[in-house]
Amino acid sequence: MTDTDFLHADEQALAQRFIDDGFVTTPADDRAGLDRIQRRAAELAADYLKLPHSNDPYAMLDTIHTRVSVDDLNALRLHVFNGLNAEPWFRPTYFRLARSTIETIVGNELCMQRRVNLSIQLPGDSSSLLATHSDVWSGDSPFEVVVWVPLVDVHRTKSMYLLPPSVNGEMQDRMASLRSAEELYKTIKPHATFIEIPYGHVMLFNQTLMHGNRVNEEAGTRWSMNCRFKSIMSPYADKRFGEFFEPILLRPATRVGMQYKLPGGFHG
Amino acid sequence: MAERAGHRGYIGARPLNGSRTPQHVQNIVIRDYARRKNLHYLLSAAEHTMPGSYMVLEDILDELPQLQGLILYSIFMLPPDEARRRQIYDRVLREGCDLHAAVEEITLASQKDIQAVEDILLVNKFATIL
Repeated sequence: MTDTDFLHADEQALAQRFIDDGFVTTPADDRAGLDRIQRRAAELAADYLKLPHSNDPYAMLDTIHTRVSVDDLNALRLHVFNGLNAEPWFRPTYFRLARSTIETIVGNELCMQRRVNLSIQLPGDSSSLLATHSDVWSGDSPFEVVVWVPLVDVHRTKSMYLLPPSVNGEMQDRMASLRSAEELYKTIKPHATFIEIPYGHVMLFNQTLMHGNRVNEEAGTRWSMNCRFKSIMSPYADKRFGEFFEPILLRPATRVGMQYKLPGGFHG
Repeated sequence: MAERAGHRGYIGARPLNGSRTPQHVQNIVIRDYARRKNLHYLLSAAEHTMPGSYMVLEDILDELPQLQGLILYSIFMLPPDEARRRQIYDRVLREGCDLHAAVEEITLASQKDIQAVEDILLVNKFATIL
């Protein structure tokens, strides 16, 4: 890397892990903020189900499959998703969960996806699956990263899988000869890794790598959030500035530069 | 047999007829169409941005036995090859499903609907827009 002399040793190590593995997991920078999000998600779920608010939000979320049917799951998900995104503190808090990692991997002038997504995967439910994909294939810029935050411990099929950078290119080269995303999954399956993340940690991953999920065969329900971040001046794809992304950090020098006009009126 | 789930939305990341529509707007158009036609809308799947890829559409076709049908954002999202399109129509009808296109308000629910769809696609291929 050309910039290693300009980074702290811990930043170098983090950057190298991201390049080598395609993801990094770290403890949340703002643990109190994460607990606040988890608590609010549990309250919104309880409101939807007409239950009293629980003193144990983790248990409430992890065992939600005992209280909601697959048929009602998307309505519950939308209720919690809309409720969280309506909170003015929610997106700034979400950013703070991974701020130091985002700034090391992406930069410090940033835009953020306008709404933070929410996934809920009940044990045994095949209706909420995300087939093997790279976000870039559906219009995201390769300059984006995803910050993925579980609200419960996730492991094995309760988590998501990611294809390592070392084999992603080779698998992409085979893709055009395959008919469907399910065929693609069967091709990459031996190489895909389910990422274990305890509650309290966050993951930042390279969304150009193939990833997805499978039927959750573990005992608890998966609750996870995801949101895209990118350097504000890096190239955009179909997910455009304004309609999909909005600026969250713009530095004074950039503001000055964008407003500057050279002197005019010369006629020589 | 288990009850079928509803109609799966199908949106895209590639320009259509030279125009681009944001994906969330495509979803709004599909959701509105489903509401007006009294169809149960299921979250859309987005086709790949790579030219010529119909992998996501194939996944929806594989899912047809669990669905009532699919709603394309536009009829012009179908593959350009007529033989491949006809395979899609046959598969949809064979599974007892229907195919809708939200922008053009088209429903393909039986063999007799196919020619009207093909006429639109054929004319679009040759007609120019000022």
